Amino acid sequence: MTAAPLTRAPAETAAAPVLRAEHLAKEFSGVRVLSDVSLDLRAGEIHAVIGENGAGKSTLMRLLSGYLKPSEGTLFLDGAPVAFHAPKEAQAAGIALVHQEILLADALTVTENIFIGREIARFGRLDERAMRAAAAAQLAEIGCKVSPTALVRDISLANRQLVQIAKALLGTQRVVIFDEPTAVLTHDEVDPLLDIIAELRARGVAILYISHRLDEVERLADRVTVLRDGRMVGTYDAKGLTPQRMASLMVGREFASLYPARQDPARLAGADAAPALEIENAHVPGFVRDVSLSLREGEILGLAGMIGAGRTELFEGLLGLRPATFGAVRLHGEPVHFHSPAQAAARGVGYLTEDRKGKGLLLDEKLAPNLTLAALDRVHPAGGLDLAGEARLLDRAVAGYDIRLRSREAKAGQLSGGNQQKLLLAKVMLNEPTVLIIDEPTRGIDIANKSQIYAFIQSLVREGRSCIVISSEMQELIGLCDRILVMRAGRINGELAGAAMTESNVALCATSSAANEQSLGGP
Amino acid sequence: MLKNALIAAGVTTALLSAGPALAAEKKTIAVSIPAADHGWTAGVVYHANAAAKEINKAFPGIEVIVKTSPSASAQVSAIEDLSATRKLDALVILPHTSEELTTPVKAIKDKGSFITVVDRGLNDPKIQDLYVAGDNIAVGYNTAKFLVEKMGGKGNLVVLRGIPTVIDDERIKGFQDGIAGTQLKILDIQYANWNSDEAFKLMQDYLAKYPQIDAVWANDDDMLLGVLEAIKQSGRKEIKFALGGNGMKEIIEKVKAGDAVTPVETPYPPSMIKTAIYLTAAHFAGHAPVRGSLKLDAPLITKENADEYYFPDSPF
Amino acid sequence: MADLAAAPPRASHGWSIGWGDAGPFLALAALVLIGFLINPDFLSANNIANVVTRSAFIAIIAIGATFVIASGGLDLSVGSMAAFITGVTILFMNWAAPSVGTAAIPLGMAVALVTGLACGLLNGTIVTLGRIEPFIATLGTMGIFRALITYMTDGGTVAIDRSLREAYRPVYFGDVLGVPIPILVSLAVALIAAYVLYRTRYGRRCVAVGANEDVARYSGISVARVRTLAFVIQGACVAIAAICYVPRLGAATPTTGVLWELQVITAVVIGGTALRGGRGRVWGTVAGAVILEFIANLMVLSDFVSEYLVAAVQGVIIIIAMLIQRMSKR
Repeated sequence: MTAAPLTRAPAETAAAPVLRAEHLAKEFSGVRVLSDVSLDLRAGEIHAVIGENGAGKSTLMRLLSGYLKPSEGTLFLDGAPVAFHAPKEAQAAGIALVHQEILLADALTVTENIFIGREIARFGRLDERAMRAAAAAQLAEIGCKVSPTALVRDISLANRQLVQIAKALLGTQRVVIFDEPTAVLTHDEVDPLLDIIAELRARGVAILYISHRLDEVERLADRVTVLRDGRMVGTYDAKGLTPQRMASLMVGREFASLYPARQDPARLAGADAAPALEIENAHVPGFVRDVSLSLREGEILGLAGMIGAGRTELFEGLLGLRPATFGAVRLHGEPVHFHSPAQAAARGVGYLTEDRKGKGLLLDEKLAPNLTLAALDRVHPAGGLDLAGEARLLDRAVAGYDIRLRSREAKAGQLSGGNQQKLLLAKVMLNEPTVLIIDEPTRGIDIANKSQIYAFIQSLVREGRSCIVISSEMQELIGLCDRILVMRAGRINGELAGAAMTESNVALCATSSAANEQSLGGP
Repeated sequence: MLKNALIAAGVTTALLSAGPALAAEKKTIAVSIPAADHGWTAGVVYHANAAAKEINKAFPGIEVIVKTSPSASAQVSAIEDLSATRKLDALVILPHTSEELTTPVKAIKDKGSFITVVDRGLNDPKIQDLYVAGDNIAVGYNTAKFLVEKMGGKGNLVVLRGIPTVIDDERIKGFQDGIAGTQLKILDIQYANWNSDEAFKLMQDYLAKYPQIDAVWANDDDMLLGVLEAIKQSGRKEIKFALGGNGMKEIIEKVKAGDAVTPVETPYPPSMIKTAIYLTAAHFAGHAPVRGSLKLDAPLITKENADEYYFPDSPF
Repeated sequence: MADLAAAPPRASHGWSIGWGDAGPFLALAALVLIGFLINPDFLSANNIANVVTRSAFIAIIAIGATFVIASGGLDLSVGSMAAFITGVTILFMNWAAPSVGTAAIPLGMAVALVTGLACGLLNGTIVTLGRIEPFIATLGTMGIFRALITYMTDGGTVAIDRSLREAYRPVYFGDVLGVPIPILVSLAVALIAAYVLYRTRYGRRCVAVGANEDVARYSGISVARVRTLAFVIQGACVAIAAICYVPRLGAATPTTGVLWELQVITAVVIGGTALRGGRGRVWGTVAGAVILEFIANLMVLSDFVSEYLVAAVQGVIIIIAMLIQRMSKR
């Protein structure tokens, strides 16, 4: 609210822009996806671009890095107008793009990946030694410790992201564009990466930073440009721009809170809250050792922990998706044992996978078949398909979960991430589960959809269902859950409730072997 | 022709008289032939096994071993294994391909074995002691001559050929030579891969394309079966002759029964392997000279001589 | 971004066939037109009936393959399976004929069907329970079936008993109101298959398993059961094709059905089914099978192509047919 838009940066306060865009616009077959966007990137500055999905961030980034040509407007490099006809030309001008997805060849070494397409050769023969040395130097510069000869498939996701950055930085780079570089990383892999980006700024590189994670933007950016519906809302000084304010600018209305009001803690406390799901002595070979937990009726139970802590695997084991043994599993007090997700669904247990695109939805299929895929027996009891009934169910899901689609004939893969997630939720809810396990409910989703999904989860438990939320976003768990269990290395390493649910406590439990619930204080 | 008959007669006499005398030193004759994968090779396997059984029974001094191989490389391995495990006094071989088998057979020859080559020659004719083969050119030529004579030297023909190989080329060449200079006209000639199904389809298409076909020649009997079925389905009556080749028993039966459309047949009999095995056995049992080449003729099989070429128990 | 680059919303209509699915039919229409221009005899009722009838075997088998391929599998054994079933059926009929007469024919058909279902089940269980890649598993059974038919025929021919020959003949050569029986059979098979694939739960599951096995698994679908059933459907289709095939030449030989698997896969792919699974087009498959047979027919009816180059021209036409299909998808 203090931040006033700076459409033009005051010349005396900053260095001359390296790259400047004026009145950029882009149309795809007559549809305008970006209009009248002007911004500049200065040496030694991090300029963040934020906006909801579909606001035009990716288009802008591709215009700046030569992947697309603007329909209108001009780019200026060091004050002179330029037009890039291919990414290669932008690269030659010192503009590098670090992609959001990891685009590396798994079967090749780190060095081979860095030099792919621009190998160093002497007399037509590859100069392996020179490439290894250059790769090692580049990796060292960004503080990445992987061996240049390691195979990419053998290194961690975080290191792959660093290799990708090293690849982008190869050669003299004056402008580096980061497209959601932390989207695939876990919480504690993020910090080192942000340090590297800050280090690049210190060396005088101009940085364009695109992210959904507003806390990162707050921490890193010098200036912030907000896009909404393909138009510029404005460019702001990052000082004093809170994440909440950023969210309001992106959405175009004020945001009181992302999270719905919590339910009355008294309702869940005490012995009268019966357990909805009890798991005793769960073992999932290689992932989970001796885990017991209990979910109360009407509760939202959070499951925190780092990637690889065994959270997802515990519930995949529960549903019979991977080998697992249990001392006992009780659903509403009755012993159960599931061999397949179908059995679990029949008993009222639903699971939303964290991997929406890989395991949740058929991206090339239309919406209705996706919606009913897990409940075919229920929706089509006769064996033959009841297409009219299916269409009605889709109508109801679209209305009930506010799924935004441009056509009923659209394929699931054409929906935005947030709408895919809502469709996935609607799909699992068709089986009317009493216990719902949601793995990473809002991964890669913009703020407006996030807030809606939180509200849906809250309303589900108000209807008397019980819910387990697995998430790597601590804020989300703290804002949404009644109680949080923290897993570490296949075990439950702590339980937090009430005021003890803080980021530092969650982080401590997730990383420290010494942590226990007593030392953190119970409710 | 006369020479061939004399040799055959001599062999038979020698075998009949010299049988039990030579029990002292047992001679091994290995027979290496392609595995049965279509009618003709099935006939080869049948006749080779029949010859082995008969000779092993008649001559205690001779042991005939039959080995079938599904491919040229398998055949190379098979004869190498045979010669490694025992002393081969003779090898009777119907090679899958000339190129691949020449060197391995020469290696066996160098160990002192008597080599009989059947049907397909090796690249180096000096390797063989005895060569027994049919006459593919005559298969085509004699069929053509029959048609020229019966049709008065004029009419429209369609031809079905097999798989592009030397055998196929020779038959077609013989046929073309046979009709050269007459008014017989080949309307069309296409490959049907010695396969009944493909021949059925091809014949249907010929019938759709040409309103007047006087005679059909399929250069193999498998294909002739498909041809006859297609003609039957079309109900067309103008086709005077549909001839094949090879000597399949179903076709020989037609000849024996005096079929109007298929009154003759030209042999390229798989029983030539039996001829070769007997001749090789004669080399050991009969003290009769058998070194040389024997080209089995491809005379027209007619109602009169059909019995000679009819083997009701053979699969072919 | 994609949400904004929106096409105007379309009304949804359940039975419509989009242009994307019309590709194989366009290719077929183009081929018919070219055929007519090359040789007017091409469109004679007799020729069309012959060619479409001939395509029935490949079409029926390819309809089964549509299920296997849509579910993410592949069956290379169909050609030798067809030969094997043909052999078993003929041997059974010949064995039964002396005692039951022409009743041996329907009994033999039942035997064929059971044999086909068993062969399909064998393929399916090797792939799903044995967890062997469909390519390798069916390459193995392809060899097994081929060897069995060679063994049954001693490498030669087994012909159907003369007493059954004439009675059985109409199943291939007969017609109802002028439509040859094999065409009616393949239409019936296609109708049933289209219903199963597009209008039943099984069809949904089949396509889902092929599109993304993980999504199917996480949606509570038994991937193994769906895949196995697809192979069983394939087996049944091969058996139906074999039943129509037997009366054509009345014999089984070791060369029966050689390379049918490649024709079948080509027909399925020309028809618009994705080779990697997740998309099945029953009617497209039928069109694909007819296209293949038309191409072969045109090669004979035209005089342009040397007999030595026929295969090359066929290859070019198949690729062009695929391109027409691809472009109509845009």
